[in-house]
Amino acid sequence: MAELTRERWGKRSYFIFAALGSAIGLGNLWRFPHLTYSNGGGAFLVAWMVGLLAIGIPWLIVEYGMGKYFQKSAPGAFEGIGKKWEWLGWWPVWVAFLIDTYYCVVMAWALRYIVSSATVAWGMGTAGAEGAADYYFGTVLRLSGGPGEIGSIVPELLVALAIVWIIIFLVVQKGAASIGPVSQWVMITAWVFLVVLVIRGLTLVGATDGLNYYLQTDWSKLASGDVWFAALSQIAFTLSVGMAGMYAYGSFIKKRGDVNNNAFITGFGNCATSFFAGFAVFSVVGFLMQTLSVPIEEVSSSSVGLAFITWPVAISMLPGANALFGIIFFVCLFLLGLSSAYFLAYGGVISPLMDKFGWGRTKTTLGVCIVAFAIGILFTTQGGLYWGPDILDRAVAFYGLLITGALSCIVIGWVLPVSRLREFVNETSDFKIGPWFDVLVKAVIPAVLIFVLVYGGFMNDIPNSYAGYPRWASNAIWGTLVVTLILSFILGSMKTKGRAD
Amino acid sequence: MSIEALVAAVVMWVVFIGGLSWCLSKWRGGGSEWEE
Repeated sequence: MAELTRERWGKRSYFIFAALGSAIGLGNLWRFPHLTYSNGGGAFLVAWMVGLLAIGIPWLIVEYGMGKYFQKSAPGAFEGIGKKWEWLGWWPVWVAFLIDTYYCVVMAWALRYIVSSATVAWGMGTAGAEGAADYYFGTVLRLSGGPGEIGSIVPELLVALAIVWIIIFLVVQKGAASIGPVSQWVMITAWVFLVVLVIRGLTLVGATDGLNYYLQTDWSKLASGDVWFAALSQIAFTLSVGMAGMYAYGSFIKKRGDVNNNAFITGFGNCATSFFAGFAVFSVVGFLMQTLSVPIEEVSSSSVGLAFITWPVAISMLPGANALFGIIFFVCLFLLGLSSAYFLAYGGVISPLMDKFGWGRTKTTLGVCIVAFAIGILFTTQGGLYWGPDILDRAVAFYGLLITGALSCIVIGWVLPVSRLREFVNETSDFKIGPWFDVLVKAVIPAVLIFVLVYGGFMNDIPNSYAGYPRWASNAIWGTLVVTLILSFILGSMKTKGRAD
Repeated sequence: MSIEALVAAVVMWVVFIGGLSWCLSKWRGGGSEWEE
């Protein structure tokens, strides 16, 4: 029955663009290039490709395959294994929901900067370069002194956040039927803008110096646990697995549709985009090193520092068309974030709720968007940066994703078991995968995720408070995990009504 | 651009373009069919 009535991707290309859109996000632009530079260049790339083939793509096959096999979103898929496992499908739903609450705030910052770029509001030339950090922290965020000082709501960010959620509502209100075509145009536009940024970057003075830093190779670093940690964690976080949504996206694949090849295309396409984005980032880094006469350490950064400080500095220093390139950069950033944000909202949260409670799409979409927006208001305050993209991010996008990912692979690997899933996806895929897949899902992926969890998480955050925050603020990480786990058990114990459509 | 960086860039693009080309070659319908 579900096969006849469940929503479907109109075309295979729509699924691929939607899956690529969900995987390609802000991290491809602001995390990957800096990680490559700071972890031995070519050596990091080798570890990263090993991670893609051994962890990333098999994990994608698991999530697409589970959705397609059970014709359900994440909770329904785990309910299909056994009612006692349904909670394990709800935990990543909470991960997706909470990530989206602050991810959309970062998109609101990007929206704010699109407007600011029209006049290069942080200033031109060296004055702008010196004022970019103050503009971001002082004018845009009006940042408080720490997580204990929430301060007041920043009105411009509140308005921008409302616009972001209205756009998400409009995109997802018709489900896969609207997400597919929108994703196609969002991704093509984002790639075109990225090409423009790379061409502009490569034609700047000093660009090759930056690229030399980006791709310089220190093979000795392959013996370092830090490099493997960086590469494997980047793979775990870049493909949008472990956030429930890929189960739903997989469940919308047609009955005779492929799984294996789609996972390989998504994995390679995502990583190629990351690598390409590094050319835009490091050509600009080289340009800044030369024009400002500073060492690379002063201009190479990651995360929000790259997007909202380094890049505005570069825009101020460009020889011409500063506003145009500022708008292109921030629109590109916004589009990359948008396709991930509506994936989290629809695949991660709305579709699971529809499957569980039989609610209508419009009502569920409206409810989720309003509640997520309301929570996001907290992160538009002066202390929002600390609580959203930092502490909550650590709780859900790091610990939540890794714990639920490892547990999911163990349960799918050993309880389902995964050989059944492999036989199912092989039936309709363009090519078959062998028993090596079972080993990866049963042992390798969980082991790697636990390594990242312990090496990059518990070993730091248990003896010391996270990022030097007061212990009470750092403890919010553990509180979030416990509360979402309890809520997952409650949802998992409730009766499933089934999707109305 | 240094030789080392150039080699890394070329190798990575060969991997990506080669990988995606292989995926498309496996695509039912000869690799160019976007419809199901």
